[in-house]
Amino acid sequence: MMDHDEQLKIQAYLDGELSETEAREVAIWLAQDQDAGVLLAELRNTRQGLAGYEQPVQLPESREFFWSKIEREILRQESPQTAPQIVPWWIAWRRLLMPVGGTAALVLAALIAGGLLGGSGRPAMETAAADTGALTYRDDDGGNTLVWLSYPAENEFAESQPASTLQ
Amino acid sequence: MFGSSGLRAHAEDMKLEVQLIWGTNDDQSPDKNHQPVDPDIKKRLKELPLKWSNYFLVNRKRFDVPPSATKREPLSEKCSIEVKNLGNDSIEVTQFGKGQQVWKGTQSLPKGKILFLGGKAPNETSWLVILKRIE
Repeated sequence: MMDHDEQLKIQAYLDGELSETEAREVAIWLAQDQDAGVLLAELRNTRQGLAGYEQPVQLPESREFFWSKIEREILRQESPQTAPQIVPWWIAWRRLLMPVGGTAALVLAALIAGGLLGGSGRPAMETAAADTGALTYRDDDGGNTLVWLSYPAENEFAESQPASTLQ
Repeated sequence: MFGSSGLRAHAEDMKLEVQLIWGTNDDQSPDKNHQPVDPDIKKRLKELPLKWSNYFLVNRKRFDVPPSATKREPLSEKCSIEVKNLGNDSIEVTQFGKGQQVWKGTQSLPKGKILFLGGKAPNETSWLVILKRIE
């Protein structure tokens, strides 16, 4: 099982962030370690998938105005609290529904961008894995999905069977 | 009326094949009962990021899963797989080892697509469970 630093090293290798010497060492390691190779393939596949689905985000206002709204909101929250005012019920409801509506719009946009709505035709995989160390590799063109589990067969087979066979 | 609905339900049964495979770099398996995998499976395995040069068939089973039904198939003394037919070419798969759930997930499995579940085995070998849609 790889530790976090090793996983980051593979990510850095994929992103071309390593020195020539380090990259050479990682390449040798990847060729020898099955788990590392699977993780590299998964990261590469994920990057390609994200690149294909990435949608440019257009703000309805200028960048400066967008950030000024955030700044004003921060200043407003930091200012001393005033006595609560009684507001009409329709204004109170509007305040409640506006963030909910905004969140719903963001979730809907994310679903559409991710191809979850509208039938992209790509096979979906959702893991509710008991094995949290499972790695999934998907080759949509080839029609193959590989789930590599950290569950070792040693526990299952070595106790009563010859070490070199499954059953 | 009942007869036609019965026929329709039968037509929607998902026909599956599951294989237990052993991956090794040895040319031959020490177990004479092991057979080389089918050429189409071997070709698929070569397309995956796996390092083993040879794969041997340990066990193979075919079974049908009616809509909304769940079938569990033992593959070895300690390994079994459970498949639930969710409809629309989708299944829920649960892998068991020594009676304990090892992995569970949902997967779209139209005809031609294959799900491979795998892990390490002793002496730098591997085990694989291959789930394939027949019809």
